[in-house]
Amino acid sequence: MFRNLLFALLIVTLLVACGPAGISTPTAVSTEPPASAEPSAPPITLTDGLDRTVTLAGPAQRVVSLAASNTEILYAIGAGAQVLGRDETSDFPAEALSLPTVGGYSGFNLEAIVALHPDLVLAGGINTPELVASLEQLGLTVYFLPNPATLEEMYINLETVARLTGHESETAALVESLKARVAAVDDKISPLSYRPTVFYEMDATEPTKPYTAGPGTFVDLLIARAGGLNIGAELQGQWAQISLEQLVVANPAIIILGDAAYGETPEKVVQRTGWLTLAAIQAGQVFPIDDNLVSRPGPRLVDGLEAMAKLLHPGVFK
Amino acid sequence: MMIRPYLYTLLFLFLTVVFSIAIGSVFIPPADLGRILIGWLNKAAFSEPLKTFSFIITDIRLPRTALVLLTGAALGGSGAAYQGLFRNPLADPYLIGVASGAGLGAVLAMSIKWPYSFWGLMAVPAAAFIGALLTVVLVYSLARIGKTIPTTNLILAGVAFGSFATALTTYLMLRSTGELHRAITWLNGGSSQAGWGPVLTVLPYLAIGLGLLLLSGHALNLLQFGDEQAQQMGLPVTRARTLILLAASLATAAAVSFSGIIGFIGLIVPHVMRLWFGADYRRLLPLSLISGAGALLLADIIARTVMAPQELPVGIVTALVGVPFFLWVLRRAKNQGYW
Amino acid sequence: MLRIENLSVSFGMRRVLTDVSLEVNSGEVLALIGPNGAGKSTLVRAISGVIPLEKGRIHSDYVSGSSVNLLSLSSVQRARSLAVVPQAASMPPAFTVWETVLMGRTPWLNFLGQVSASDEAIARLALQKVDALDLSARRVGELSGGEQQRVLLARALAQSTPILLLDEPTSNLDLHYQVSFMETVSALARRDNLAVLVAMHDLNLAARYTSRVALLVDGKIKAMGTPLQVLTPELISIAYHLPVQVIPHPFADVPLVIPGNTAPVKTP
Repeated sequence: MFRNLLFALLIVTLLVACGPAGISTPTAVSTEPPASAEPSAPPITLTDGLDRTVTLAGPAQRVVSLAASNTEILYAIGAGAQVLGRDETSDFPAEALSLPTVGGYSGFNLEAIVALHPDLVLAGGINTPELVASLEQLGLTVYFLPNPATLEEMYINLETVARLTGHESETAALVESLKARVAAVDDKISPLSYRPTVFYEMDATEPTKPYTAGPGTFVDLLIARAGGLNIGAELQGQWAQISLEQLVVANPAIIILGDAAYGETPEKVVQRTGWLTLAAIQAGQVFPIDDNLVSRPGPRLVDGLEAMAKLLHPGVFK
Repeated sequence: MMIRPYLYTLLFLFLTVVFSIAIGSVFIPPADLGRILIGWLNKAAFSEPLKTFSFIITDIRLPRTALVLLTGAALGGSGAAYQGLFRNPLADPYLIGVASGAGLGAVLAMSIKWPYSFWGLMAVPAAAFIGALLTVVLVYSLARIGKTIPTTNLILAGVAFGSFATALTTYLMLRSTGELHRAITWLNGGSSQAGWGPVLTVLPYLAIGLGLLLLSGHALNLLQFGDEQAQQMGLPVTRARTLILLAASLATAAAVSFSGIIGFIGLIVPHVMRLWFGADYRRLLPLSLISGAGALLLADIIARTVMAPQELPVGIVTALVGVPFFLWVLRRAKNQGYW
Repeated sequence: MLRIENLSVSFGMRRVLTDVSLEVNSGEVLALIGPNGAGKSTLVRAISGVIPLEKGRIHSDYVSGSSVNLLSLSSVQRARSLAVVPQAASMPPAFTVWETVLMGRTPWLNFLGQVSASDEAIARLALQKVDALDLSARRVGELSGGEQQRVLLARALAQSTPILLLDEPTSNLDLHYQVSFMETVSALARRDNLAVLVAMHDLNLAARYTSRVALLVDGKIKAMGTPLQVLTPELISIAYHLPVQVIPHPFADVPLVIPGNTAPVKTP
């Protein structure tokens, strides 16, 4: 029996050793972290979203991003070359996909993060305070970027990351262009008097009780900004559930499928029992949208705004 | 006293600890491991890559190993105690609702935005711990009739309250504004904090709970004959059962407060020990403790390496690996009346 | 000797034992007989302390003249005065005979249950007395009913108490084991000067192997005395709602009860 136990342990060892190697031996990062780009620059001190004081000697050159939105921000402001690692949900832009991953769906791999020797770990609203504490415990510098509630707060986040990575001037230009695009949308929307009612579908696994974006969510904000009326604004909670009956009564003019990435298509929606009575379906006003454009709190929210505006007011936006 | 069972289980434990330190998602070549060991003995300073490797071992793997060992010991030991206390082979540490109470406490705490400070970060584990203990006290009081605590009443009250707490927890999670992911991760045991903090926090409760359990082997043996015969042989039954129940629940509550709800260890490890080494609780309790620690650590090793750098929740590994192993042991059991 | 005075037990509103008084002397075996539901098991359990009493006194009287109120004792102390041999139903099957008998030593051990050489000697002796020493290494679950009952008796003997209570020990035994068990019990009572109370079904077994009999009906003692005095057609027929005949035993100086009869019984 003793032998059997040893045998079993051997099997387990083999299984484990044969598992994917994951992060390979970090020979590439075996040197000490390089000195900051401008040794004479003053240290950067900021207060993050958890009220923590974070200090960097200089702009971060080795960044690990723990949230998809942070990854998008980093690349958008031109700091892509300074990013060493990402979480599994980060899938934009395409260059990010070649970065090694450090976890994401079911916890983060502390060893992997440490082995990359980052000088900054950028956490987002989706990460837990426990994770931040753990990384801090290991001697890493962590900055927690809170979730913005408005577009203005999103611009501030861009500027914060710019300061952390030394891309202030590019980011200022980026923010200006974003503001201009938003203003352009506002200008075209404001003279319009028609505001279509919108049902933004987040999840319809139960077709009689789908989920939509409630008040205070970014989707809600963007729908309003794009010149629409979100049915979900009347409900409660961020993930608001609405019954099919209520939906029929509300009778939205447009249905936007935020769950298109999970396989929902306008054709499938037509086949749902009871949905045929909705005016939007009969008029063919069911459209998919890339949910990442409207839910990830990064610069692509402006893309999302424009996409939304095009769906709601096709006559005005070509 | 039979030495061999202790020898085998301690060897198993030792091997899993060695593996836990040597294996992780970052591959450390065995040669480097040796150099690091020698370096520690000589108190030498390391250069890369040994410096990073050494850091990973001392600051990530060792504390994590320690926490997992303590959790596994708590689950194995209290699982054996619960099975003896309730004279039921299906009993596990969560039988009277400890897990559900802990989950409810944790999710309640997660709905409040605590300041980022030592106490703020302790809020969730503390709430889980308190939730677990309150559940036991509540269930115990509900089940009591006069001076006795009938076993059936305990189980019924525990299951009923457990379902209630779980339903409430699910409701809170559905209404949560963003904490859903965090709650699910916690419930599956995947978000314990790094460092020695959790280990030191949990240690005193485990020492008390498991210490008391280790002294209760004889009492549990007597209880196998039923409350009446145990009393007739001289055991103060109500006092003994209360003490064992509280000690086991204390250990379980401390374990789940940082590690979430990990199943199957508390159920399967005592059965395997019983099949291999007999039903004497004076032996079964310490052996379940040691093997529970080793088994959970083994599951943890698998969880963090099989799909590296992604980590599986440990609870999934204990089920997927533990159940087939247990079935294999059961099939090979020569003795029929092992319970 | 075991002395019980005016013992009454109620389950909720229902009185199950009323003013039961009896004495069992050291060295004798008292049989407690009566129909189903009379309260025999309840009486044994009440004396052993697992059921609360409504009223009554239970004493252990010693030759020296001192007397101990068993109700005032803790579980451990009471377990040193009286031991119970329960029915052999649902014994944990995984323990060995040796482990089971050793548990009888509990009231004399520390709370860790550590056994000394003398404890083991006592256990061995107990097993010898019931002729089960060769079963020591066997698991209880593998034994026959008769063997299990003997193991339970050995466990009670290992408890080294002056008083022994047995709750229907022969109910599940075949003819051979019934007789051998009762022979062992009465021999032990005599040899070791134990006060033994046996609750039992079998009237003839009681007559043969006990020196006194108490008849319990509906929670009350209807008669107490020698087998000849208690096992009469009148008392037994009324108690068991069955006409019986009593004749002298062919080779023992005790009555023999035979159910059924030819002559009608005058019912009051």
